[in-house]
Amino acid sequence: MSIYAVNRMCHQLMHDKNHRYAMQNYPEQVVARLDLTDEERQAVLAGDVGKLYMLGANAFLLGYLTRFEVLGLSLPVYNERMRAMAGKTPITDF
Amino acid sequence: MARIVGGLGVPHTPYFPRFAAAEGPDGEINRFFGKVRNELEKHNPDVILIIDTDHFNTFYFDNYPTFGIGCDDTFYGPVDDVALMPPRHIVSHKAMGLHIHRQLIGHEFDTALVTNYKVGHSVGVPFYFLTPDLNIPIIPIFLNGHLPPMPLAPRCYAFGKALREAIISWPDDIRVEVVGTGSFSLDVAGPQMFPGENYGVPDLPWAKHVIERMLAGDIEALLSEATEERMLAAGNVGGELLNWIAMIGAVANDKADWIDLQEIRGHAYGVWAAGGRQ
Repeated sequence: MSIYAVNRMCHQLMHDKNHRYAMQNYPEQVVARLDLTDEERQAVLAGDVGKLYMLGANAFLLGYLTRFEVLGLSLPVYNERMRAMAGKTPITDF
Repeated sequence: MARIVGGLGVPHTPYFPRFAAAEGPDGEINRFFGKVRNELEKHNPDVILIIDTDHFNTFYFDNYPTFGIGCDDTFYGPVDDVALMPPRHIVSHKAMGLHIHRQLIGHEFDTALVTNYKVGHSVGVPFYFLTPDLNIPIIPIFLNGHLPPMPLAPRCYAFGKALREAIISWPDDIRVEVVGTGSFSLDVAGPQMFPGENYGVPDLPWAKHVIERMLAGDIEALLSEATEERMLAAGNVGGELLNWIAMIGAVANDKADWIDLQEIRGHAYGVWAAGGRQ
């Protein structure tokens, strides 16, 4: 289970400006280096925050993806994808 | 001997400094915080303890304590990009933090020692409004109201009572305010967001119910109702209610003087007079 790496990638958007810049400009290179499953990697690159949430990523941290507008996640896009998960129970890894 | 002179409850939304500046001095946010600040100034504390939930700025999944005590001369923050509040070194009270930590362990609350640390908006933003000069030392008391499993509500109330004993056993004759911070119904970036927003208030009736319990001083009922499942149903940071419950335990007065509700955000602003023996 490597949802830890998804959470960490989001967390670093706030605390590492080089990482933030890289995710905003060449996310494929950053994501290629992360220890993710294929499913997670595809979901990250697609900005599929609903999927990542269901796989156990933390919503508060996923919110940084739209705060810094990476992976095409403007607020309306993020909002719609996340709200589609209402009522569903995600995997909990922690 | 230190004396507890009152308790406060406030929110800590990271966007509030910017929103408040846009609204102006007579805007809603400044009015709500200003009313609490007036009471704080009447209480005239020498030291302020804030019971808060860290949102991945002091701690991370790598190590996320259930209870922790900030023990240093200063701490640095807010480090999470709070507009109009750049990070800075904020004055704390190391000797008193260490005393509280030691006393709590002596009273069977095995707190984590937190030193050489940073904080996020949940510590910084309340003081942007309450003590903008940051001239009164602040001791952060960290309580996990975010990541399950969270401590049980009765345990948090008991923690507050033990915190009270730790405070009043401090030998110096000083005045201490206790602040609890957080929301009763708030979903941040999760599935219960309002359409088009980055937050939602999934259960305003629950927030109102919590406020009614606090105004009535009916803490026992609140402690039995505030289960983890119930709080999280009200939003992914609904567990921040635990910070207020711990504050109420510390103040030794279950009944709030008054609480204002900011409906659109599910936020509350409240004041408690000091109770109990001093």
